[in-house]
Amino acid sequence: MSPAKVRVGSRLASAPVRFSFDGRQYTGQRGDTAASALLAHGVRFLGRSLKYRRPRGLLTAGPEEPNVLLTVGSRPTVIPNVPAPLLVLTDGLEFRSQNRWPSLHCDVASLLQVGGGFFGAGFYYKTFMWPSWRSYETIVRNLAGLGEAPGVSTLPPPAIEHLSCDVLVGGAGPAGLAAALAAARAGARVVVCEREPECGGELEFEGGTIDGRPGGQWVAAVAEELGRRGARVLTDTAIVGGSGGLLIAHAEPGGLAGRNKIYQIRPRHFVIAMGAVERPIAFVDNDRPGVMLLGAAERYLARYGAAAGNNLVLFGNHDRLYAAAGRFVAAGLRVRAIVDSRTEAAVADGGTAANDLRAKLQRGGIECLLGYAVLATEGRAAVHGARVAPLASPHDERRIACDAILVSGGWSPAIHAGLHEGGKRRYADCSAAFIAAGQPEWRTGAGASNGALDLAAVVADGFAAGERAARAVGTAGSAGPAPIAYGDGPPRLAPFWSSPASTDQEKRQFVDFQNDVTVADLRQALAEGFIDIEHIKRYTTLGVGTEQGRTSGVLGAAIVAELKRETLLAVGTSRTRPPYHPVTLAALAGHRSGQQIRVTRRTPLHEWQEGHGGVLEPAEYWMRTRYYRANGANAFAAGVAEAARVRAVGGILDGSTLGKIEVAGQDAAAYLDRMYLNRASTIKVGRSKYMVNLREDGMVLDDGIVLRLADDRYFATTSSGHAGHMLAHFEHYADTEWGGRDVALTDVTEAWAVIVVAGPASRDTLRDVLGSAWHADLGRLTHMDFATGRWHGRELRVLRAGFSGELAFELHCRPAIAVPLWQALVDGGLEPYGLEALDILRVEKGYLVGAELNGQTTPHDLGMDGLVELGNPCIGRPLLDRPAFHEASRPRLVGLRTVDGKATILGGAQITTVAVPNRSVGHITSAVYSPALREWIGLALVARSLAAEGTQLVARDPLRGGDTAVRVSPLVHFDPSGERMKS
Amino acid sequence: MTRLTCPFCGPRDLQEFEFRKTLPEPDSNAYAQVYERANRLEDSLEHWQHVHGCRAWLLIRRNPSTGQVLKLELMGGGGP
Repeated sequence: MSPAKVRVGSRLASAPVRFSFDGRQYTGQRGDTAASALLAHGVRFLGRSLKYRRPRGLLTAGPEEPNVLLTVGSRPTVIPNVPAPLLVLTDGLEFRSQNRWPSLHCDVASLLQVGGGFFGAGFYYKTFMWPSWRSYETIVRNLAGLGEAPGVSTLPPPAIEHLSCDVLVGGAGPAGLAAALAAARAGARVVVCEREPECGGELEFEGGTIDGRPGGQWVAAVAEELGRRGARVLTDTAIVGGSGGLLIAHAEPGGLAGRNKIYQIRPRHFVIAMGAVERPIAFVDNDRPGVMLLGAAERYLARYGAAAGNNLVLFGNHDRLYAAAGRFVAAGLRVRAIVDSRTEAAVADGGTAANDLRAKLQRGGIECLLGYAVLATEGRAAVHGARVAPLASPHDERRIACDAILVSGGWSPAIHAGLHEGGKRRYADCSAAFIAAGQPEWRTGAGASNGALDLAAVVADGFAAGERAARAVGTAGSAGPAPIAYGDGPPRLAPFWSSPASTDQEKRQFVDFQNDVTVADLRQALAEGFIDIEHIKRYTTLGVGTEQGRTSGVLGAAIVAELKRETLLAVGTSRTRPPYHPVTLAALAGHRSGQQIRVTRRTPLHEWQEGHGGVLEPAEYWMRTRYYRANGANAFAAGVAEAARVRAVGGILDGSTLGKIEVAGQDAAAYLDRMYLNRASTIKVGRSKYMVNLREDGMVLDDGIVLRLADDRYFATTSSGHAGHMLAHFEHYADTEWGGRDVALTDVTEAWAVIVVAGPASRDTLRDVLGSAWHADLGRLTHMDFATGRWHGRELRVLRAGFSGELAFELHCRPAIAVPLWQALVDGGLEPYGLEALDILRVEKGYLVGAELNGQTTPHDLGMDGLVELGNPCIGRPLLDRPAFHEASRPRLVGLRTVDGKATILGGAQITTVAVPNRSVGHITSAVYSPALREWIGLALVARSLAAEGTQLVARDPLRGGDTAVRVSPLVHFDPSGERMKS
Repeated sequence: MTRLTCPFCGPRDLQEFEFRKTLPEPDSNAYAQVYERANRLEDSLEHWQHVHGCRAWLLIRRNPSTGQVLKLELMGGGGP
């Protein structure tokens, strides 16, 4: 039987669109999706299943599509896992099927299945255990996975829009539109999100009238009125998640990332009107291409004019089968049989309209089989027939030739948006599914989520929900009379989940199509002791794919209930969690990727350094110069040259990145005494001190210099990387334990630029540059003194300190004079140096470089015993007395040299004793090549028992260089008496 | 809990705030103050800072299982 190839009364424009699927060229119509265009070409076999590689075709017409996920584009910019019903064709679009290798029709893994048979739940856990999972991992991982991961993304970052409104309506089907209309008429500000490109939901194909107008006309009129009343209707926009009153909606017109957008919506009230998701019925080989959900077939026909087949068998458990059959017949398709699982007796009671319709269809020659079920399908990569039998005697099988089986086991209301945060659900007999209940005050269900399944009830319920929502947000207006609707009657559904089958046949009764979960898997999970539906889900993978149990969740739970002989209510379903639809991670990240992840801060000297050969690198939030290109071919050579020049002549460094906090108030001195291990209150005005902060647990947090500007005013510096954290730390203490005292903290990090001037020539150059007004101060300043004044009319502080071991000054100046001052120093003969040289100078002098403050070192570990003995009761001080902090195994900061004076050592190397080569007793925190000493030197944290000067140890660095014999040296490698600094 | 109501700035997105710590049991010893946290399902006392706003420090009592904020007050004299 040849598949359908004809368009039947399409609403699409006739403009052709060319596309390619698996390398073959096709032509669709503008507005077609990949699904509808391929369906219209009669292409049914569109993918393979994840586990068994069985041929699959379209099951649905929406984002819940489990079978046909496509990979769009070609490497490296592929977009995987796009559901075919969402992918709107554009000219030249290329896409291909998934889960097959090398091609869809010839798949190696599916051939393996022929011999190997089926592997049930827990197969991987049980099979690949000997000798270990690792032996199989590579092979299994190559076969596993959904689609192909993109290599790079050239997609533009999606926009994020923030919205607030009185009433957010999720879904623009009849219920949602009625709710939006009522709320807008009552005066509420309304936003509507509809996942489809058009409003109307099932009105698109369902016959019926609302307020005397055909459904389509009513939809257009409502959309017009909503626009007039200022409501925003967002189509192609699905609500995908949210929490705490914030809803996240994802707009993806055309179904393809790259044109998408995220809405963050804060409504005062949220109406859940997302309709219901149709579910299949489990029967043997119900996954064969050609088996489609009834509503999906109606949608493909109504919207795209694409027929699911020419010879249809309809199979279900409710009255909607007959209304749908009438529409298929009217469109010219042949309905071979309607297989209804309900008995004659059950159907006879009430439902006059549906019974009349059935009688009419029968008179038209359509076979209506009551009390029957489809037991199995026939065919290979496409359905050729249905095997049906009366439920009373399932062995009396007969075959009905057909090319499509349209199945409907009822509808599961889409109430997920109200559940993941702990909303409740209630079992509704009318739909044999769960509906929303126990929602918080700001959420209301409407239509299907309240159990309404026929048009009249849906519209009435939606309108009432909209009125309630408007009232809840306090709008005063009246919504007026509710629309009156007439449509397909109530479906009179009788639960029917799986057709009769032998235990062996249950292996081919599919429940979750995407993950190949069958009735047999569910039975096995129960037999192996997985009782709870959440455990069954994890063990069998029921509903864990991109369709997230939309089609399979309730069906699976109902079959578990039948197997356990419990009610569906008692079994429940697994909890749904956002995102409700697949969303690319890039969409959620929005613009926050690459360089946009966090701010980049630039010092006032940034442009100068960039323009003069500085190689700038990110250092926390800042960009800092590592070295200058003119000084060497690479960072190592340039750093050594720059450090040597500082010691020989001098140099300048941009230190503006230092964190700077001004501390003022009557209680400032006492406050700082609590913040630092050593006392700030003993600093004289005009002097400064090297100070250390501890964490609450006694570990060293940060260090810096504190200047006393006045009796009640201090200027504290923090290390560059810690600036933000230290400010918060200072503020926290000032507002909590220290709250209520007179202390004011001001972040002045960017109010002052800092230029470090170091080297023998620094004072003389400064005399020339700063001018005669500063001569007296420059002559007067001793180590840690500072002077204040002006240069070119702006404030300048000159502090005699510099952490290079040379005669050095820190110039704290206003940013406006930073560049002229810097340039004047350069013109005066001092060349700039970068962080590489700074580290060399610091390690030579035994100053902390950074890696020593790793959050695991106490002041004792770092040799600051003298500071602890001051007895200042600061934050963290009480816990320093813990015995464990004083054991011989605690580290101690030491200097390190190589034994031969030639070998290389690098930071990060582990240190062991010579005798025990595989137990670390410490590590090198920083190591540099010292141009002053002409050898590699380092700082290391070594167990106290081994920290005595001269102890021979081994630095082990297997990944970078192997073992090096080292010895503990004095911490200060260069100029230990500090003569140069005092000169 | 996706918003906190800052006493100075009004209701603001949670992204503007930074959590600092869960408070220990009152009157516990120095070690417990640092290392032991009251870890209660329904009642947690915490320090938060409106770090990307007025930088005020807030004392928040909330229910971690539901996210419901039970009490929110300004600490010290912080704020703009």
